[in-house]
Amino acid sequence: MRRSIIGRSWPNAIAVVLFVFFIFPVYWMVSTAFKQNTDIISKTPVFVPLNGTLEHFDRAVHADGFWTMVGNSFVVTVGAVLASLVIATLASFAVARMKFRGRKTFVLVIMAAQMAPWEVMTISVYLIARDNDMLNSLLPLTIFYMMMVLPFTIWTLRGFIAAVPKELEESAMVDGCTRVQAFVKVVFPLLAPGLMSTSLFGFITAWNEYPLVLILNKQGGQTLPLWLTGFRSAFGDDWGATMAASSLFAVPVLVLFVFLQRKAVGGMTAGAVKG
Amino acid sequence: MAVHSERVQTRSPESGKADMAATEQIAPPTAGGTPTNGRPTAGPRLLTRIAPYLLLLPAVLATLFLLGYPLLKTVLVSFQNLNSRQLVQHLTEWNGFENYTDQLSNGEFWHTTGRSVAFTVVNVVLIMVGGTLVGLLLNRLGKWMRLFLSASLILAWAMPIVASTTVYTWLFDQKYGVVNWLLDKLGFHGMLDYNWFSDQYSTFFVIILLIVWGSIPFVAFNMYAGLTTIPTELYEAARMDGAGSLKIFSSVIFPSLKPFFLATTFLEVIWVFKAFTQVFAMNMGGPQRLTETLPVYAFIEGVSNNHYGTGSAIAVLTILMLGALMAYYFRIILKQEDEL
Amino acid sequence: MKRQLIAAVGVAAMVVGLAACGSDGKKADDAAKPKDYNGKTLTAWFMDGSASQAWQDGVKADFEKEFPGAKLNIQIQKWDGIGPKVTTALSEGSVDVLELGNTQTAGYAATGGLADLTKDKANLGGSDWAANLNESSVLDGKQYAAPWYFTNRSVIYNKELWTKAGIAAPPKTLDEYYADLEKLKATPGVSQAIYLPGQEWYTYFGLITSEGGKLVKKDGDKYVGNLSSPEAKAAFATYQKLASFSSAPKDKDEANPQQMTLFPKGDIASMIGLGWEAPAAKDMTADKWGVFPLPGKTADKPSGVFLGGSNLAVAQASKNQDLAKGFLKIALSDKFEGQVAASGLIPNKASLNSQVVGDFAKAALAASVNGATTPNIAAWAGVENNPNPIKEFMTAVLQGGDYDATAKKYDEEITKRLAAKQ
Repeated sequence: MRRSIIGRSWPNAIAVVLFVFFIFPVYWMVSTAFKQNTDIISKTPVFVPLNGTLEHFDRAVHADGFWTMVGNSFVVTVGAVLASLVIATLASFAVARMKFRGRKTFVLVIMAAQMAPWEVMTISVYLIARDNDMLNSLLPLTIFYMMMVLPFTIWTLRGFIAAVPKELEESAMVDGCTRVQAFVKVVFPLLAPGLMSTSLFGFITAWNEYPLVLILNKQGGQTLPLWLTGFRSAFGDDWGATMAASSLFAVPVLVLFVFLQRKAVGGMTAGAVKG
Repeated sequence: MAVHSERVQTRSPESGKADMAATEQIAPPTAGGTPTNGRPTAGPRLLTRIAPYLLLLPAVLATLFLLGYPLLKTVLVSFQNLNSRQLVQHLTEWNGFENYTDQLSNGEFWHTTGRSVAFTVVNVVLIMVGGTLVGLLLNRLGKWMRLFLSASLILAWAMPIVASTTVYTWLFDQKYGVVNWLLDKLGFHGMLDYNWFSDQYSTFFVIILLIVWGSIPFVAFNMYAGLTTIPTELYEAARMDGAGSLKIFSSVIFPSLKPFFLATTFLEVIWVFKAFTQVFAMNMGGPQRLTETLPVYAFIEGVSNNHYGTGSAIAVLTILMLGALMAYYFRIILKQEDEL
Repeated sequence: MKRQLIAAVGVAAMVVGLAACGSDGKKADDAAKPKDYNGKTLTAWFMDGSASQAWQDGVKADFEKEFPGAKLNIQIQKWDGIGPKVTTALSEGSVDVLELGNTQTAGYAATGGLADLTKDKANLGGSDWAANLNESSVLDGKQYAAPWYFTNRSVIYNKELWTKAGIAAPPKTLDEYYADLEKLKATPGVSQAIYLPGQEWYTYFGLITSEGGKLVKKDGDKYVGNLSSPEAKAAFATYQKLASFSSAPKDKDEANPQQMTLFPKGDIASMIGLGWEAPAAKDMTADKWGVFPLPGKTADKPSGVFLGGSNLAVAQASKNQDLAKGFLKIALSDKFEGQVAASGLIPNKASLNSQVVGDFAKAALAASVNGATTPNIAAWAGVENNPNPIKEFMTAVLQGGDYDATAKKYDEEITKRLAAKQ
């Protein structure tokens, strides 16, 4: 009996420790952002900002170019995700449902493309963008981010489409639907969780992207990661404002994630375990 | 997987309705759908044959132009002498293998490669072991506790990297960082004013902690999802044979989830090996260039120092190393996965 | 309608008038040009802290008046990591006019990215430019930029804290300064007697000059690192001594964080900075701070300084060469150059020195006699690229590295960069 009580409580104890480990940095970011400066620059940390302030947020949103970059980030991210969803839905349907020559090759290329080393290809992407007169605009970021998330999107959607029983589609076709209609009316509605999970991960990838925008855009078309790193080096000692800036950058993703997490995690898992 | 297919089944009645709705309005389109020309069957058959290619076309074009072309361009530039003068004047000066021989005979390059490999190994081992343990724990917890822990894992997972890197520099700040305060309270008084970013190993420590912290959730969730697919009878049988926890892991869990372990490990290896943002945004490869991994080295030589050809050669060498890893991974996948 | 018409006629007349002022007949043909300016935008890059808002607004107004229809787009860039930004921008033609650091101008000129202004020099007022200030704009006998302003660093100090520490007058020698710092350190309310981060290489450069040394030296026909020289070592000892009174990070420079944002908080007794880093009136009133040149070993001569400055250049790839040169002419005119002087910087013409106002600029002007700058060679710009070996070297030694061994290592890196293939 003694043993079983201990046996039952140690996982909970560890879970609490892990909970703190994983949540603390996020908590510390948000709480620092609300703290008075005297509480931030203090030899004994203040763990709960009881007399909070919004002055750091005020400072962050009034920093140079903040709202422009918020707009840029949203346009680029949403554009990239939507474009990749459209292209991926077409491709993944072919891969999941049709037999054709070159299918295996395509799947292999997609799997490899998922691991493409974008981090070291920035120079050539820059040169391509420059030689095609696309610099300092949102176009190159949008299309290259689209490409960054496309393989993953195809790969995951393929799993979702494959999981829809073929019979459903076939019965619709027996009932006189064309293949396109069968897809639109039967398969597509069932893909909602898949579309949500892939767009969520696409969103995170594009929202986060840093190495490419670092070299690509110098005057127009900069995005939030660049703003945040610039902000951090200029206000290096102003941790309140820096954390407020980080919070503002992180919040859209965190909210989206928590909101969609059930579907997202399920979807991610389906894709990954298969992969 | 199980979670996923369950969801599909619960939804199927609804799609039955969709079927019915569809039935009511389809008749005309099918009739008119077949183009009537000389060979009545050739049209649809051709269409069926090229349909998959038409569907793939946008994806293939995008991959060719947006991924294939940059890759090719990286290789081309790596054979060029491309510094600021050539860049500014748009000159193309081929210099054969010079960038490669420069790098391959350069101690700096090999140091960085060794560092990258060690960095990857340490990270991936910690991520896989940590992730597996957290996944096992999730499986063991009660419903509420599991939700509680999952919530924190999700936040760590979703945290944008540039933001989390910034937060870590604050946690480890020399003067007012909470970590130094905590270590001091725990009795390590030498750590009170410790500058974590003044030393190669302590900088790496912070970077690795950041990456492991951000990567464990992915592995843990997958592990947990995988565990739920293992039938409980298997555990019970093993337990009846008198197997302990370790034995259960090695004889039941590991064999059933072997594909998962392989896939995840390789994904993590590749992700960590090419990680750029965490290393660069943390301390720009410093102190004294001692925390540069290959992608950061390529950036600093290529972009910061205006030796774009050299940077591309380093990039190509990095890509080759990744390619070798991937080839190995694909061989295993192809053997296991007949679903392709 | 009528009013617009009148306005248009007025503008046209003005333009004709301007063109008529042109010295050669060719200019007269340009009278038809104003139409071409419609929809044209001139992009100019200025560096953080250089051009005051008033200066920018004034130049913009005059520019848009002189070139009707043309727009001036001013972009402010940060010094940190500027090298690759300028290089790529020059390759794109996305910028027309740029402010360039005087140490880096030759490097950009050598890439072929800067327009040759030799013919325009006279028109820009070049015959009056102070010869020593113009040096960095010239490479191989050609004028690739125009000198804009110069400045050097002085000690900015918090008068209140100094009074509190019982110090009556600014120090005349380094030893006096050390003694003052010692007193300041013990004064309540002082967090740092001096704010001096580990990577402030401009100050170190000035100290090397004081010792009669050079950061890099000429060895045959090439330049090599010279940190190993006894002069550089002696200068570093001074730097280290000063830095020992500071708790600023040893692995950061003066812009990271911006030291100018720290000083007005009121707990830093002194810092070594540029004119634009001195506190703004809204943060700290002018009577609360003072300036003195960093003293030398003896009272007769202050420490050497790094002669910092900026030039204005036109991008070769700019599609608006005429507009860009027109802009330069306005920006460098006595009107605006006088404003530069009035804001506490050293102007490009000695004739405007009388307009230099403020304690800071006066101190800087006096100290500039002992100034020196980096060798005017193309490869120098590469030395300053991140990670800058001079900065890395300073951090390494300040963190306890052996001077001679570290100097040898970084001399090699500097030499390598000076010899880098172009």
